[in-house]
Amino acid sequence: MGRRGGRPVAYAVLGIWGAAMVVPWLWPVLTSLKQPSDVFTSVLPPTWTLDAYVRVFSLGSFPRYLANSVIVAATVVALNVLLDTMAAYAFAKLDFPFRNVLFGALLVTMMVPSQVNLIPLYRMMIGLHSAIPFLGADTLSGIILPGAVNVFGIFLMRQYFESIPDSILEAARIDGCSEWTILRRIVFPLATPALATLMVFVLLSTWSDFLWPSIISSSEDSRTLPVGLALLAQRNTVSWPETMAGAVVTAVPMALAFSVLQKRFIEGLTAGSVKDA
Amino acid sequence: MPLSTASPASVGTLTMRPHRRRRSLVGLVLVAPVLLVVGVFFYVPAALSLYWSFTKYNGNTPPQFVGLKNYAFVLTDPQTLNAFGHTVVFALLSMTVGPLLGLVSALLLNLPIRGRVWFRNAFFLPVVMPLVVAGTIWKMLLADNGLINQLLGVVGLDHQWLTDPGTALYAIIATSVWQGFGFETVVFLSALQSIPFELYEAARCDGANSWHQFWAVTLPALRPTMVFVFVVGVIGAFQAYDQVYVMTQGGPLRSTETIVFLLVERFHELKLGPASAIAYLLVAVLATLSALQLRLGKEKA
Repeated sequence: MGRRGGRPVAYAVLGIWGAAMVVPWLWPVLTSLKQPSDVFTSVLPPTWTLDAYVRVFSLGSFPRYLANSVIVAATVVALNVLLDTMAAYAFAKLDFPFRNVLFGALLVTMMVPSQVNLIPLYRMMIGLHSAIPFLGADTLSGIILPGAVNVFGIFLMRQYFESIPDSILEAARIDGCSEWTILRRIVFPLATPALATLMVFVLLSTWSDFLWPSIISSSEDSRTLPVGLALLAQRNTVSWPETMAGAVVTAVPMALAFSVLQKRFIEGLTAGSVKDA
Repeated sequence: MPLSTASPASVGTLTMRPHRRRRSLVGLVLVAPVLLVVGVFFYVPAALSLYWSFTKYNGNTPPQFVGLKNYAFVLTDPQTLNAFGHTVVFALLSMTVGPLLGLVSALLLNLPIRGRVWFRNAFFLPVVMPLVVAGTIWKMLLADNGLINQLLGVVGLDHQWLTDPGTALYAIIATSVWQGFGFETVVFLSALQSIPFELYEAARCDGANSWHQFWAVTLPALRPTMVFVFVVGVIGAFQAYDQVYVMTQGGPLRSTETIVFLLVERFHELKLGPASAIAYLLVAVLATLSALQLRLGKEKA
């Protein structure tokens, strides 16, 4: 019963529901295209203008924040693809001493919130910075290094590698391939879908990360977009269009990536939900 | 099955040994970078933090061992209890309202209607937006003369949401739920779509109407997904910081301070002992939850 009769109701509910969910991000986008005087007086901008974006980019340090965010995200994703995959392959397919103990030691870290490490890590980065001035606190390396490995990523890739039949790898070994060649020529190409998932969730969590970057960066030169945006939002002298332009700039790269790679994004973020124990 | 174990042992012993040892070294080499990073950037600071939680330490003079004093202080300090209370409210509300919105959305999106991908993406978009962005835009929407007050003002319900200590926390929770419920939607949706159609058919043969089918087939099948969603929601709520920082800075009158916000505050005050104790209380709570998830997860299997 009800399937056909229920449809108009479903459309109506979805429509209202959808509007309630869409307006909160559509409204800020519209605001960013208004002049400060028009913010609260009209729905659509009476005169469409990119002034707010020009101001954010010319007066503020947003070009620098954007560049920093891109550098951090690209480096962290690349490091994770390389390091997580290497380890996951070894844990899935190779025999070595202490394999299970080491894997357990990695898994334990997933249960512990990263905030625990905040203060000691900050002090370690200060120490590193005073020893080697271009590393550690207040440099991008201070943001990148702790993110170079993602244990959940290793867990995910290991599960995927376990589904690759040993016979393929054995055949390659008999043909005289080294483990490194096997990893590069056979495992990597076979793992493309899983790699895409890994890249997406590392990208998203790195791009959105706020607490650690806000603590480790004390000058404009090492701030990422979320840190810069939070500073902008704190200042009462800044107009709403400008703040919203900053918010749009911070959100748009991920929104664009999502619109291109919808399926991968959804898989990447829901990867933990389907578990076979 | 790997060839090495399938081949007869009599042939094996001589040729296999050097092969095994070579592989074992390769394995260690491949995991070495990960172990190094996790060791240096996780285990070392985690151990330091644990040690500092038993000391009086300001970062400049050497830490002095004080036993359980920091824990005793933290567990009786009204400010910690206040922040802990907010965090619990945060967790309780976001783990009930969020999944409920997600479940309703998923049920709607599971109907055979046009434009479901469009709706799904509209719901999911906030999930890919940094929490700092969500906090910033809701700070404007909830401002005294912002959109929400202009709409509510029509019926006389406008309010100073973020400057009233009675509503600020709920405003932040609403922002977080809005940002995250798209995640719950797609998780529930994929769970709904994996329920075998035959189950519904069988229920219909037994004379179950849509409502009965929902209770007898859909809800039980969603149970493991609900456990997952709850745990993820609670873990997120216990780590809430970004939204609070952007929207209220813990105010007004400390009414929106969360555990992590307080931890950072103590850090800035150079009270590293109590800050570390707070961190380890957070570990205790979240580790318990993770263990609970494992147990519940095993039960269903």
